[in-house]
Amino acid sequence: MTSLDRVPVGWSARVSRVVGDDPATLRLLEMGLTPGLTLRVVGSAPLGDPIELELRGYRLSIRRREAARIEVEVVEAAQVALAGV
Amino acid sequence: MSSQHVPAVGATNDGGPETPLVVALLGNPNTGKSTLFTALAGIPTRVGNYPGVTVEEKRGRFSRAGKQIELIDLPGIYSLVPRSPDEQVAMAVLEGRQEGSPSIDCLVVLADATSLERNCYLVSQALALDLPVVVALTLVDLAADRGITIDHAELAARLGCPVIPVIAPEREGLEELADAIAEATHRSPPPAPAVQLGDIEDPQGHSPAAVEAMARYRWIEQILDGVVTRSARAGWSLEERIDAVLTHRVAGTVVFVAVMLTVFTSIFWAAAPIMDLFSGAVDGVAAFLDERLPEGAIRSLLVDGVVAGVGGVVVFLPQIALLFLFVAVLEGCGYLARAAYLMDRLLVGVGLSGRSFIPLLSSFACAIPGIMATRTIENRRDRLLTILVAPLMSCSARLPVYVLLTAAFVPNTPVAGLSWLRLPAVVLASMYALGVVVAAAVAGILSQTIFRGPSQPFLMELPGWRWPQPMVVLERVREACWSFLSSAGTLIVAVSIVVWALASYPYNAASIEADVTEHKAQLSAQLDAFATSDDEASRGLQKQLTEELALLETDEGLDAARRGAASRQSFLGQAGRLIEPVVRPLGWDWRIGCAAIASFPAREVVLGTLGVIYNLGEVDPGEEEGSNMLIRRMRAATWDGTQRPVFTLPVALSIMVFFALCAQCASTLVVIGKETGSWVWPVVTFSYMTGLAWLGALLTYQLGTLLLRG
Repeated sequence: MTSLDRVPVGWSARVSRVVGDDPATLRLLEMGLTPGLTLRVVGSAPLGDPIELELRGYRLSIRRREAARIEVEVVEAAQVALAGV
Repeated sequence: MSSQHVPAVGATNDGGPETPLVVALLGNPNTGKSTLFTALAGIPTRVGNYPGVTVEEKRGRFSRAGKQIELIDLPGIYSLVPRSPDEQVAMAVLEGRQEGSPSIDCLVVLADATSLERNCYLVSQALALDLPVVVALTLVDLAADRGITIDHAELAARLGCPVIPVIAPEREGLEELADAIAEATHRSPPPAPAVQLGDIEDPQGHSPAAVEAMARYRWIEQILDGVVTRSARAGWSLEERIDAVLTHRVAGTVVFVAVMLTVFTSIFWAAAPIMDLFSGAVDGVAAFLDERLPEGAIRSLLVDGVVAGVGGVVVFLPQIALLFLFVAVLEGCGYLARAAYLMDRLLVGVGLSGRSFIPLLSSFACAIPGIMATRTIENRRDRLLTILVAPLMSCSARLPVYVLLTAAFVPNTPVAGLSWLRLPAVVLASMYALGVVVAAAVAGILSQTIFRGPSQPFLMELPGWRWPQPMVVLERVREACWSFLSSAGTLIVAVSIVVWALASYPYNAASIEADVTEHKAQLSAQLDAFATSDDEASRGLQKQLTEELALLETDEGLDAARRGAASRQSFLGQAGRLIEPVVRPLGWDWRIGCAAIASFPAREVVLGTLGVIYNLGEVDPGEEEGSNMLIRRMRAATWDGTQRPVFTLPVALSIMVFFALCAQCASTLVVIGKETGSWVWPVVTFSYMTGLAWLGALLTYQLGTLLLRG
């Protein structure tokens, strides 16, 4: 168990829970980051923040501060190597 | 493919006078809503803001099967739980509570086929509104490219409402969609989705709203099970490859810098010839009126008030049009969100977000298109904060002020012993840096104080790559120009006329002549006083005084002297004298104070005003001759009744700092009022910027004087 901001780029993770109970939590859930969902960390911006996620067929960028509130279990490393990019 | 060339859906309009069917268009951002709106209704019949809020209201009309249909475009939102202003307005319109909006007969919900799960969240909420619903499945071509197929017939059966796949740019599916809309009132509303809150076994202390959100996704997963199929993809799609390059640390940054340089150079330089063309035309009209009309108040009002005001408005159009062209193209292809993603970290430290980057960058050319471009910032707090600091970026109107004062008063000496680094260049760069540093400080302080509130999460969808739609882009540019001309433009002309009146009245021919005569007498007296001395300095002064006296004998010189006297005696000139105690600590005499007030319509006016006040008449500080004349006159200016020069290095720097930080630009303030929908914000902007400008100029002058003396 770790938080989403610690998942390395290219790895996938399953959401266990979204910590907190404020408008930000609700927005994360509305955008589809619900418990049980498997998502992939696609990249991070040149200055390290925010990060880019792939979930439910779309790309979402969130700041590490928000990502830290999402508890996840790392599933697997990406099958596609990032070599050359 | 015959439907591809249908000009407007259902052109067989019998145009009956019956009340139109009111249809609302609802959807997530980036689902092609603007494209669908344009494809259905063409150019909107109405664009504006809902009363009291900065949420855009857009309406259009078309007809189908003999029915008039009024299309209302709702703001792009992800949820109908009303928290943001966009969501609140959308919900109010849908429930018939929004002031001035008709009640809705039918709801068209857009669902992006490439990310149907997330889009169905809004669909599930819309289905519970007890209104006839039609789901428009958009971007099905992009979905097909990604190997996604959707059984829309099965989806329609499961949702209990029509589901129409459309490719709006190709006009595919539009006929079917229009038919479904026209028939909507004959159908009963679909059943509300059976969202089972009990399905969430472990609510983990979440609020009912959070549990509901989870339950909705559970429902969506069940509804879409078997409806959406994905073919296994081989390797990376083209889209993913583009994305990988453009968000890459190195490659992405290089592309970003290139794109931003293109945008900036276009609005800074490429717009200039068109702007010159416009101002040339305005000058032509002014010259025409000047010749044809008899001299007097009417001519002065038309030429210096109305025509100058209109000229001051249209001159902004090329920059606005170009910036919105870029913004619409970048937004249409999906790069705008990537640019915000790349730049976010840089701006988050001062309480802004990545979305603020392009508006702030554009403000270096001109704050007006920059402030208008903040429309792309969804978060209201970020948008307002960006609007408040955008005028601090050194715009192109400040450049002539910097250049002239630097050329006149900053010695061309090397800095830190480096022969290539000259003081004027350092001063010029410092002025630009000053604006940025102060803007960062102001944004940082405001975001920690009056803008402090519940933190809004930064959640930004990075939409798929696609080609921008020319119709949508053109509509965006047209709308930006039109809204500026029609709402801000009229006010800017009004302000220009008021300032003209203040600068022209009271006009008393007798006291103007008295002033000119007195001026002549003063010059003669000075000449007499030096007549006996024979050193080099005195000879130079004698020559200068003789020249000035000779000039007063010519028509041109006399006219300039009269204009100078008139402007000094006007309300504006009186105000300049009145505020002298306030500007004295900045090292300014009343003439500079006067020019600073007169520059309220636009900063660059300050040089022209100084020209008039110093009896040069109308000089063009942009031309070498005019600027040389002005520089000479400024160097010769002395404090009234003394030989002490007014313009010294600390004074020049204090004027530059003042103009770097002040809000002497009526057009910017008018646009801030229009964009925020409240006159509080222009007042706040003007007050805080003038305060900072005064403080900055005070520090510059006092420290400068101290350093030069020590």
